[in-house]
Amino acid sequence: MFFFRLFVWFNLRQVQRHPWRALAVVLGIALGAAVFTSVRIAVDASLDAFTRSMDAISGRADQVVTQPGGRVPEDLVARLRAIPGVVAAPVMTTYTRQAGGGRSFLLVGIDPLMDRAMRSWEKAGPAGGEAAWLQIMAEPFTLLAGEALAREAGWDSGGQVILTHRSGDTPFTVVGRISTEGLGALANGRMALCDIATFQEFTGTFDRVDRIDLQLAAPDAGLPAEAAAAIGPNLKVGPPGSVKASGEDMIRAYQVNLSFLSFTSLFVGMFLVYSLVAMNAAARRRELAILRAVGASPRSVYWLFVGEGALYGLAGWALAMPLGSLLVRHLLDGVSATISTLFVRVHVDRLTLDFWEILLSLAMTVIVAMLAALQPAQAAGRVPPREVMMAVRRSEASRPTVRRLALTGLAGLLLVWPLAQLPAVRGVPLAGYLACLLLFAGFALLAPWMLRQAGRHLHPLTRYRSRGPAHLAAGYLRDSLARIAIAVGALITAVALFTALVIMVRSFRHTVELWVEQTISGDLFVTTRMAETNRVWEPLPPLLVDDLGQREDIDMVPNRRFSLFHEGHAFQLEAMDFEAFRVHGRFFWLQGGDHLMPPLARGEGVLLSEVFARRSGLGVGDTFHIRLRGHDLAWPVLGLVRDYRTHGGVVFCSLADLDRRLGGLAWGGVRIFFTDRSRDIEAATARLQDELVLRFGERLTMMPGSALRSAVLKIFDETFAITTVLLLIALLVAALGITTILTVRVLERTAELNTISALGGSRGQIRAMILWEAFFIVAVGEILGVLCGFGLSYLLVYVINRQSFGWTFLYGVDWAALAVSLPLIVAAALAAAMPAMRLAVRTSPAALLRAFGR
Amino acid sequence: MKRCRRIGGLWVLGLIFVAAAAGGVLGDDTAGYRRVTGPCHFEFPRDHGAHPGFRTEWWYYTGNLEAPDGARFGFQLTFFRRQLRPSSARADWPRRPSAWRTNQLFLAHAALTDIDGNRHYAAEEMSRGALGLAGVERQGDAVRVYLGQWDTVIGPTAHVLHMAGEDFGFDLRLAPVKAAVAHGDGGYSRKGTDPERASCYYSFTRLKTDGSVRLHGRRLAVSGTSWMDHEYSTAPLEPGIRGWSWFSLQLDNGTELMLFLLNMEAGGYHPASSGTLVAADGKTTAVAFESIRAEVLRRWTSPSSDAEYPLAWRLQLEGTDLDLTIRTPVDDQEMETGMTTGVTYWEGSITADGSSGGQPVKGRGYMELTGSNQAMDERL
Repeated sequence: MFFFRLFVWFNLRQVQRHPWRALAVVLGIALGAAVFTSVRIAVDASLDAFTRSMDAISGRADQVVTQPGGRVPEDLVARLRAIPGVVAAPVMTTYTRQAGGGRSFLLVGIDPLMDRAMRSWEKAGPAGGEAAWLQIMAEPFTLLAGEALAREAGWDSGGQVILTHRSGDTPFTVVGRISTEGLGALANGRMALCDIATFQEFTGTFDRVDRIDLQLAAPDAGLPAEAAAAIGPNLKVGPPGSVKASGEDMIRAYQVNLSFLSFTSLFVGMFLVYSLVAMNAAARRRELAILRAVGASPRSVYWLFVGEGALYGLAGWALAMPLGSLLVRHLLDGVSATISTLFVRVHVDRLTLDFWEILLSLAMTVIVAMLAALQPAQAAGRVPPREVMMAVRRSEASRPTVRRLALTGLAGLLLVWPLAQLPAVRGVPLAGYLACLLLFAGFALLAPWMLRQAGRHLHPLTRYRSRGPAHLAAGYLRDSLARIAIAVGALITAVALFTALVIMVRSFRHTVELWVEQTISGDLFVTTRMAETNRVWEPLPPLLVDDLGQREDIDMVPNRRFSLFHEGHAFQLEAMDFEAFRVHGRFFWLQGGDHLMPPLARGEGVLLSEVFARRSGLGVGDTFHIRLRGHDLAWPVLGLVRDYRTHGGVVFCSLADLDRRLGGLAWGGVRIFFTDRSRDIEAATARLQDELVLRFGERLTMMPGSALRSAVLKIFDETFAITTVLLLIALLVAALGITTILTVRVLERTAELNTISALGGSRGQIRAMILWEAFFIVAVGEILGVLCGFGLSYLLVYVINRQSFGWTFLYGVDWAALAVSLPLIVAAALAAAMPAMRLAVRTSPAALLRAFGR
Repeated sequence: MKRCRRIGGLWVLGLIFVAAAAGGVLGDDTAGYRRVTGPCHFEFPRDHGAHPGFRTEWWYYTGNLEAPDGARFGFQLTFFRRQLRPSSARADWPRRPSAWRTNQLFLAHAALTDIDGNRHYAAEEMSRGALGLAGVERQGDAVRVYLGQWDTVIGPTAHVLHMAGEDFGFDLRLAPVKAAVAHGDGGYSRKGTDPERASCYYSFTRLKTDGSVRLHGRRLAVSGTSWMDHEYSTAPLEPGIRGWSWFSLQLDNGTELMLFLLNMEAGGYHPASSGTLVAADGKTTAVAFESIRAEVLRRWTSPSSDAEYPLAWRLQLEGTDLDLTIRTPVDDQEMETGMTTGVTYWEGSITADGSSGGQPVKGRGYMELTGSNQAMDERL
C-alpha cells in the first residue's frame, strides 16, 4: 500500500506534470500493440475460418479413402457399406461460379442419405413442404445455397441460376438455403450443396467420386480386414485431418512471420518507454537521492520505475484495443487474401475475439514496456543518498558505460551468424527471428558509441566550417548520449526494417520476374475450365488435342498436373514435355542446368522445386517416391530449380515417361507458342482463342501468356500489401520517437536555449540548431539502420523466407529505391523535429529570468 | 407435453394402408403415378418383385421365435420402396444420367424383441435404389429385396432373411406352410371411403421359420412362425384418419387373422377397417367392418416419446365366434425411426387367447400401432 502511494506521489505526479510526453510514449506503444494484436487476430480469423471449414467437410469421418492423382471408383461405396461395422459416404467438391462472372464458390456433392452419419446440415427458414434433402435427390440440377452465398448472389428459393464448369453452363434451381451450421459452415457459407448425381452430371465426372469417408464401429481397432481388402492397394486410406493439419501449420507459420514483423513496431515503441523513464529518472536524481536518504531502499526505487514502465505499457495497451479494432478490419482482407494465395483457400466472415490472444497482447505490451524500463530503473536504484549534497549532476553516460553497451551490442551481433544457421522448429524459424532481434538490439546498443564518435568528429569539423548552429548541435550530440541514443535506436530499427524489406521485396520481385519470363513462357495457356481454381486438371477434350496437333503455325508444350501429398505436405506433380519446353523456355536452375533436359525428357529422373526439396529433405542424387493412381513411382532427383508457385512445391517429370508408367495419360493443359514470331502475337492469340471458344464452348480456360505473367506479378505484389502496412506503422512509431526525444531535449534545455536567445541568438539560429541536431540524429540512425538493414535483409532472404516458405531468391539491392526513399526518411524524420523547433522558440527570455529566479 | 418428431418425416408408413381407384381425389402429389383400381391379379414370382410406378411398396416380415433353451424372441424386418417422382419425370433427366440418379428410395426397419429379457432392439437403414446400394432384383425364380447388408430372397420354397445390425441380427429361413393370401377383392384392399384409396395386398400368413438370431454377439438357433405382407399403393392416407391398429395372429387351431382398424381423428374407426380370416385349410374369409368388435383393455405411455398406445385388446368377430384377448409380453416395443421415416410407432410381439367356435384358442402374432404420437399423414 505504501509502495502504491509512493508510486502515485512520485511517479504519477511526474506524469501529470508532463502529460504530452507521456501521451506520446503511450501513443507509440499503443500503435505497436495495436498492430501486433490486430495482425494476430486477423490471422486467427483466417485460421478459425479454415479450421471450421475443414471440420465441416471432414465431419465425423474416422478414415478417408482417396486416390492420389485421381478419383475413387464409385462402386466401392456399395461394397464398403456391405461390410459390418463400416459406414461409408462419398463426397465430391468443386469450385464453380455463376456464368458471366462473379466469385467462385464451393459446390459440394453428397448422397444426403449416406451423409447423415458423417455431416449435419439444416435447411434455413421455415419448415414445410418436401424435405430439402429429398428435393435435391429427386430433382436434377437443384441445389441448396449456403447463407453467405445466397445473400451475396441474391439467390432466392425457387430461383434459377446458371453455373459454369468445364462441361459447360448449366441452369440450376435453388430449392432453399442451408443455415450456417455443420456443412453449411463450409467456406463460411459461400458454398452450395447438391445431390451427388447432380454433381456428376454437372461436372461430367462420372463413375468416380473424389473420396469416400468412412465411419468405423471400432475406430481404435483400425480398418477391418474386409474393408481393407475391398479398398485394395491402389487406393489410399488415412485419417481426414492431414489436409487440415498441413494447412494449419502453414497458417501458423505465417502468423509467426507477421507477428514478428508487427512486433517490430512494439520493439520501436520500447525505445520510447526507455527514453521517457530514463529521462524521468535522470531529471529527478536529486529527488531520488532524497528518497533514498529518507529510507527508501534501492529495490523500492527500482520497482517505482519498472512500475512506471508497466503503467505506460498498460495505458498503451488500453489505447491499442480501440485502435486495433479499427486496424484489424483493414488488415483482415489483406491477410485472408494472402493466406488464400500462398497456402490454403479461406473465406473469412467473422472475427473471433480469443481471450488468450487478448491476454497475450496485454502481456507482451506490458512486459515489453517493463523491459524497456529495467535499465533506467536499475540506474535510479543505484542513486546514492549522498547525491543530495552534491551540487553537480553526474554525466548521463560515462565512457565505460558507452563502451560496455557497445561491447554488449557487438557480442549480440556476433551471435547473429550462428543463430542464422540453426534449423526451423516445425517450420517456424525461431532462431532466425531471435537473430533479427539480436541484430536490432546490437545496433541499438552500438548507437551511443557511434554517436559519441560522430559528435567527436563532427564538432571540430563544424567549427572550422563556421556553422554555428551545426557546431552547437554536434556538441550536444557528443555530450548527451544516452537519450539521443534511444531515439537513434528506434530509428535504426525502423530504417533497418525498411531497408531490409526494400531489398527483400526487390530481390524477390526481380527473381520472380526472371522466373516468370523464363519458365512461364508461352503465348496461350489452355486448361479445362475451373482447373486452376480447383487444382484439379482434368483431361483436355481429345478433339482439342487433335485439332491443335494439326495446326502448323503453333508449337505446343503439353502437361498434366496432379495435386498430391508427400509426407503430409501438399505439392504438385507436373508431367511435362521437356523436349518441347526447352525450345521455348528454360528452368531457373539452382542445381543442374540445361544439359539435364535430355535425360529428363527420357524419364531418367525428375526435377524438384526448391520449396519441395526443402520440405521433403530430398536433394540431387536422392530418389523421389510417390504413389499415383495405384502405381508406385520412383525417379532419381537430377536437379533443383527455383519455382514460386504457391500452395506447396513442384516435382517435374516427363509426360511421356509418366504416360508409359501409368498406361495412358491425357493432357491436362497445354502451352501454345506461335512459331512465326514476326507476326502480331497478340492478335494471333486472340484469334486462336476465338476459334477455340467457337469449337469447344465454355469448357476451356484460356489465358494469354502476357496476361498470365502480369497476373502472377500482381498476385506477388498483393501478398506484400500487409508487409507494407506493418512497415509504415513501424516508421510512424519511429517518427513519433524522434518527435518525443527532440521535444524532451528542448524542454530539458529551455534555460539553455533561452540563454542563447538572450545572448543574441536569433530564432532562426535556434531552429537551425535543433534542425541540425535532428539531422545528426537521423543521419547516424539512418547510416546504422541501413547497415543493420543489410544484415536483416540477409536474414530475411536466406533464413526467414527459406525456413518459413521454402524459397530463396537472387539477392539484389534496389539502389535506386533506397536512394530515393532514404532521403525521404531523413526528410520525414526532420519533419518530425518540427514540433520541437517550434517549442524551442516559443519561450520568451522573460521566462528565462523567471526560471533563474526560481 | 408430447414431443413432436419431424427429423425425417413420414411419407412411407402413412401411405401404406391406402388405396386409389379413380383420379381427382388423391391430391396433386399423386398425379402421374400408377394407381390401384381393382383386383390385382397377382402372379408369382413376378409380384414378389417391385412395382415401379406405384409410389409406395413394402415387404414386411414379423414372427415369434424360440431358442432350444426356451428363450423367446419377436422379430420384424421391413423393406420400403418409395418412388420420388412419377415415372414420366425421367424425361427431365440429363442425357447421360449419373449412376447415382434414381427415382427410387429404399428404407428398412428391423427389430428384435428379447421377450424374456424384456428388451426391444431396433435398427433402420435408408438408401437410394442405385449403384447396388438398394433395390429389388430377380434371381431366377427368386426375387431379392435388399438394402445394404439386409435382404430377403423370396424363393419358390422359402424366404431367406438376413439382417445384421450393431447389437443384433438374424438369419432366418421362412418356409410357407400356406399359399399366399390375397386380401380384399383379389388383393384390392380398400383403405378409405373413396374406392381409389386402396392398395394391392397379399400375405403369407404362416411361415415355418428356422435359423439363428444374434444378440450382443451371442448367436442362438431359433425356430418359430412368421408372417409376411407385401403391399403397394399410391394413395395417401384419407383426411381424418390419423393412424391404424393392425394385427396379425397365428392361432393354435391352424387359423390366422389379419385385421386393421383405421383410427379416426374424431374418435372411432373408419368403416374401411377390415380383415381376413384364413382357415386351417387356407380358405379365406373377409372380415367386414360391421363384424368387428374392438375394445381397448389397457393403455401404455411411452417414457421416451410420451405417446400413448393401446397394448391390450379384446377383439370379437361377429359371425365367427372368435373372441380374443390380445396382450403383449413386452410393453416397450416402440420404434423410433429418426434416421429414416422419422415416425414413432409401436410394432411388437403379442399373444392372444380366447375362444373360437366355442373352443379355447391361443395364439401369437404381431401388432402395429400408429398415429398415437402424431398424425400419420404428416409429411417431410
